[in-house]
Amino acid sequence: MSVPAIILENVSVELGGRPVLENLNAEFEPDCLTAVMGPNGAGKTTLLHAILGLVPHKGHVLFGPERREKRPRLGYVPQRLELDRGSPITVRDFLAAVQTNRPLWSGIARERDRQSLASLERMGVGGILDRPIGKISGGETQRVLLAQALLRRPEILLLDEPAAAVDVSGEALFCDILEEVQNELGITTLLVSHDLSIVSTHARNVICLNRRIICSGPVSSVMTADNLRRVFGPHSDIFNHSHSHTHPPA
Amino acid sequence: MRRALLGLVLIAPACATMGVQVVSMRMAFYSDAISHSAFTGVALGLILGLDPRLTMIVFGVLVGCGVLIFARKSELSSDTVIGVFFAAVVALGVVVVSARRGLGRYFEGVLFGDILTIQAAELWAILALAAAVLIFQWLAFNRMLLLAMNPPLAHARGIRPVPWEMAFGILLALLVMVALRAVGLLLVTALLVVPGAAARNLAKSAAGLFWWASVQALIAAILGLYLSFAWGSATGATVILICVAFFAVSFFFRGLKGAK
Repeated sequence: MSVPAIILENVSVELGGRPVLENLNAEFEPDCLTAVMGPNGAGKTTLLHAILGLVPHKGHVLFGPERREKRPRLGYVPQRLELDRGSPITVRDFLAAVQTNRPLWSGIARERDRQSLASLERMGVGGILDRPIGKISGGETQRVLLAQALLRRPEILLLDEPAAAVDVSGEALFCDILEEVQNELGITTLLVSHDLSIVSTHARNVICLNRRIICSGPVSSVMTADNLRRVFGPHSDIFNHSHSHTHPPA
Repeated sequence: MRRALLGLVLIAPACATMGVQVVSMRMAFYSDAISHSAFTGVALGLILGLDPRLTMIVFGVLVGCGVLIFARKSELSSDTVIGVFFAAVVALGVVVVSARRGLGRYFEGVLFGDILTIQAAELWAILALAAAVLIFQWLAFNRMLLLAMNPPLAHARGIRPVPWEMAFGILLALLVMVALRAVGLLLVTALLVVPGAAARNLAKSAAGLFWWASVQALIAAILGLYLSFAWGSATGATVILICVAFFAVSFFFRGLKGAK
């Protein structure tokens, strides 16, 4: 591996007196997509939060060839936003708030709007800039969330099950967009997912987590039936199939 | 009358703008608990021989800080923590007042507001607080929006939740304590929440939400003061009734727009 982008050294997290992550040691390859997989309660989201610096942890989370503790520019794509459907906050408002601290009530600069629109158009949803963010679909929300993460030109992109609230075709479309962005910009990307087909299609590396790291490495060598049983339990197995599929129009 | 008008004109829009975040951060119960602590703050001032207006404010801010710190450290939901503090401060106040005869007469102004007796020195304090709210809204409006929508996303953006939420909670506690001078303990949460609720029916953006809430609160304050003079009614409650009337009208117009 070239010099890693993220290094975990003996990282452990306890929440409410309960161990959630135990003694993680791992390195994340730069400029490619690494999937973090595991069953519910495995600590996948907690791992992202530890990398973000949101939860206290033992051990070290280090970045870059200098192995520094100072975090680089991070982009984060959550599963959802806490906003009720009746709120008048628009997609434009949200993307502007991500870019600047100048209060929305004082107006949004044209340059911010231009950048917001460009970011949405790259996601194929340029037409929703003025829509209330509580009223767009799940698939549109995920693309807006990816757009906001990319607006800051992050060095590392973290995605927490970004397509959890989206149907199968929407999820595939989202991952295709993510792969295009990945190929174009070459950002180190961590994607939390429990969808094996997404991981095997789009990720170069995978880390399998269940409080501890069970296995890690290139997808082609790690995604075996035995490893999946160790991660997800004895009832897991792989069924290989081939099919052609098309995506609905954006 | 002039001092009362100036006081209301400063307090009402300040409450309305902070109310936008109270609703998005789901802190209406928090502001209710702070306002009810005024009862105890005044009682403690009276029995300790201190200025009850000062002890009311200091006690309210201390209760606010206590709730924020405890909610963060505890595994209980914030509603539960607020409920416990609410019960504690109100019970303490009732115990103090019931144990000392003759204190009850001081509380009518606390319950219903007493803006017509506002002094010049208090006006300066209100002006300073309104300025602090404006500065906070300039610095924190976008940050508070992102914190309400998704704290980890805000954190990735470089926004540390704890200092901003503490600053908001303390400023809100101060504002509640001062605003109940205008509308009383029973209705101060309404002054925070109702203009924002009406604004949601009319606004098409975050800026619209902010300005609709501020302007409605300002108009309600001026109209409420003059109507209360005409009717001989409590000024604070009249202001709130105007706010509720605005909400009803905005709800009607939103319904009309939806039907078209």
